[in-house]
Formats: sequence, structure tokens, C-alpha cells
Amino acid sequence: MRASTLLSESLAVLAKELKSELRSRVALNAVGLFGLTTLIAVAYQIGPYQIQEQDRPHLLSALLWVILFFAATSGLSRVFVKEEDAHTAKTLRLAARPVAVLAGKFLFNLLLLAALYTFIVPLYCALMGYSVKGVPSLALVLAAGAIALSATSTIVAAIIARASGATTLFAILSVPLVLPLLVMLIQGTRAAAASAALAAVLPALRGIVSLGGATLIVSVYLFPVVWHD
Amino acid sequence: MSGVSVEFARVSKRFGSRTVLASVSGTLESGQVLVVAGPNGSGKSTLLNILAGVLRPSRGEVTYRGGDGPVPRARWFERLGMAAPDMSVYEELSALENLHFFARLRGLAVADAVLRDLLVNLGLPAREQTRLVGTYSSGMKQRVKLAQAVLHEPPVLMLDEPSSNLDAAGHEAVAGLVARFRPRAAVAVATNDPREIAWGDARIDLAL
Repeated sequence: MRASTLLSESLAVLAKELKSELRSRVALNAVGLFGLTTLIAVAYQIGPYQIQEQDRPHLLSALLWVILFFAATSGLSRVFVKEEDAHTAKTLRLAARPVAVLAGKFLFNLLLLAALYTFIVPLYCALMGYSVKGVPSLALVLAAGAIALSATSTIVAAIIARASGATTLFAILSVPLVLPLLVMLIQGTRAAAASAALAAVLPALRGIVSLGGATLIVSVYLFPVVWHD
Repeated sequence: MSGVSVEFARVSKRFGSRTVLASVSGTLESGQVLVVAGPNGSGKSTLLNILAGVLRPSRGEVTYRGGDGPVPRARWFERLGMAAPDMSVYEELSALENLHFFARLRGLAVADAVLRDLLVNLGLPAREQTRLVGTYSSGMKQRVKLAQAVLHEPPVLMLDEPSSNLDAAGHEAVAGLVARFRPRAAVAVATNDPREIAWGDARIDLAL
């Protein structure tokens, strides 16, 4: 009988992930460099002055999420593949409860996304001249988006971890889940930029929270099957 | 947890069109060392993985029993310690950090000194224990793998080629480990090393 709680086991997995990442910086470098490179390329070619005023709300919100999503994918997809590559997956399977592994990895991906957003979003607003009227609303959209993206990426990463061509498979399997999420995130961002009122982002926020919540719940039931079989 | 056992009857395993195990039966019981012997490719590791519950057989039945009766596969892992060539520890952590991590996962509050002693008994000196595992030789890594397998004093211990990459002193340390667990645990060893085969109270010979 285990003497540990799920929370303590999950935090142990998270602590291990953070320690490993701070020493190797593989995901951090991938996510940071991808995001920065894409942002600079977009800012240099398009910049704040090349976009027509009537196109700015749509284009700027969409461009932001294109940069954030593809930067995130470069780091989030490896969270389980690295265990298989290093032959630590079986050791972890025998030592930890599946839900603890899922929770720890989910929290790690969430922190990685938070770091990415904190780094890229202010830079994007500055370089692209993107003025946001509802900063708290945007923060809410980003937070909800991070949770939903982390949930989606973590379960898909677990599914593809033992497959060959994992990176390609990750992109393919993510599309049905991520596409509606991205649409809602872009809508929410556009609404936050246009209005300071929280009510403006509520329709998008409801969709993001629903999709993220559903993904998390399904993951809790699906992950033990994926992890052990 | 006395009375732990694994009963396996007519167990077979196929990978695609290749039959790796064909109708193997037996019992692994507490107080016993079961040796699974055979040439390379005969299915020793496959049988050990089935007994450990990490692999399902293609045919046959495997029953995991705790002290009170059958145990579901997910709960079986709590009773299990395993070291195998396809299992590693984290190379970006030190030996001590690895053991602290696995102890924490199993809900054990283990003092640093206890983990240090465990590693020393397996032949990893104290001065090496805070170095990252990625800088270790293969023999040193094997010692850490063995330590993570036994740190929670499991009632079921599965060792797949435990002396691989170890020198004579390392082999003696593993022999000591098996002798320590023999009276109160169910121990299975997969090997084709005659020194390790000699540890067995019971033996299954696999053929290609």
C-alpha cells in the first residue's frame, strides 16, 4: 500500500521535470528560440506599419497565436518521447501511478507555456504595435489557453511517444483538438484587444474552458490505458 | 507482504509472426529464487516482463497474488522492484537525486544516509553519488539501477541480467542482494551467466 498521495507524487514528477529541464534546457531552448525567431521574422517583414488598419484586429491576433502555438509544439511534444528515448519510461511506469505522471507532465508543460507567453506576448505587442485595451481579459484568455493547450499536448504526446515518426504524428493527432481551440483563442485575443470589458471575452473563454476541461477529464481516464498498454 | 506469488500457465508471446515464448508454465513464490535461463533470444526478458506485469501474454494465464488473494496488475507494481537492460535512471540527475525521486514516488521518507549506504553496499562510493548519472560508466549506472529496484524493499524482485557490466565486486554485491531478499521475497532472475544460474532454487530453461 502506497504511503504517498497523488499530489505528492505529481509534485515529485514536476520537480524532477523542472530539475532535468533546467540542467539540459532542451525544451526551453527549442520553445524560446523558435518563438523568438518567428517573432523577429514576422516583425521584420510585416511590422506594425505594413498592415491596413481594418485588418489589424484579425491579423495581429491570428499571427500571435501562430507564433505561440508552433513555438509551444516544438517543446511540448517531447515530454513523453524523451522518457522512451532515454529508457526511463519503464522505470517510471513501475514506480509511479499513471495519474501522478500525467499531472506532473501536464504541470510541467503548463509552466513551459507560461514562460513562453511571458517572454513572447509583451515582445510581440511592442514589435507589432499591438495595443490591447483589456489586459486582464487577455491574461485570462492566455491562462485558459495555456491550460487547454497543455492538456491537449500532454495526452497527445503520451499517445505518440512509442510510435515511429512521433513528431509528425503529434501534429496530425493534435489538429482535431487544437484547431477549434486556436480559433477560440484568436477570437478571445481579438476581443480582449478591442475592449476592456471582461464580458467581451466571455464567449470565447467559455469555449476554451469547456474544451480544456473536457480534454483534462478524458485524459485522466485515457492516460492509464495509454501508459500501461 | 508474505505469500506473494505469480502463477503462470501455458504462457505464450508472439511479436507479429515471431513466437518468442511457447507455452511456459510455473510459479514464482516468496522465499524462492526462480532462474530463467536460456540462450540469447530465447525469451528470458519477455517472460520476466510478463511476470512483472509490464507485458501481456498472447496466450495463457498469469495470476498475481498478494497475501490476501489475486491482485490487479496496476496494484502489482507497488509490490515490484525491477532492474533490466531496457530500464534506465535519469542521467541528468545524480545517483542520490534519482533515489530520492523514486523514493518520493513510492511515498518513502528515506534519509540521505540510508540511500548513501544502499549505494555503497552496491559498490558506488560516496564521492561518486552526487555526480550526474550521465557521467557514469555502464557499471556505475547498473549499480544505480539495482539500487532503485530495491530501495522500497519490494516483496517481488525481478532482475534481468543483474551482473551485466559489473566487475567481480559488483557481481558479489548482487549475489549478496539476492541472498538478502531470498528468505522473504519472490525473486526472479533472467540470465545465461552460470554464476547467476547457481543462485536458483527453481529453474526454467527456455530454448530458441
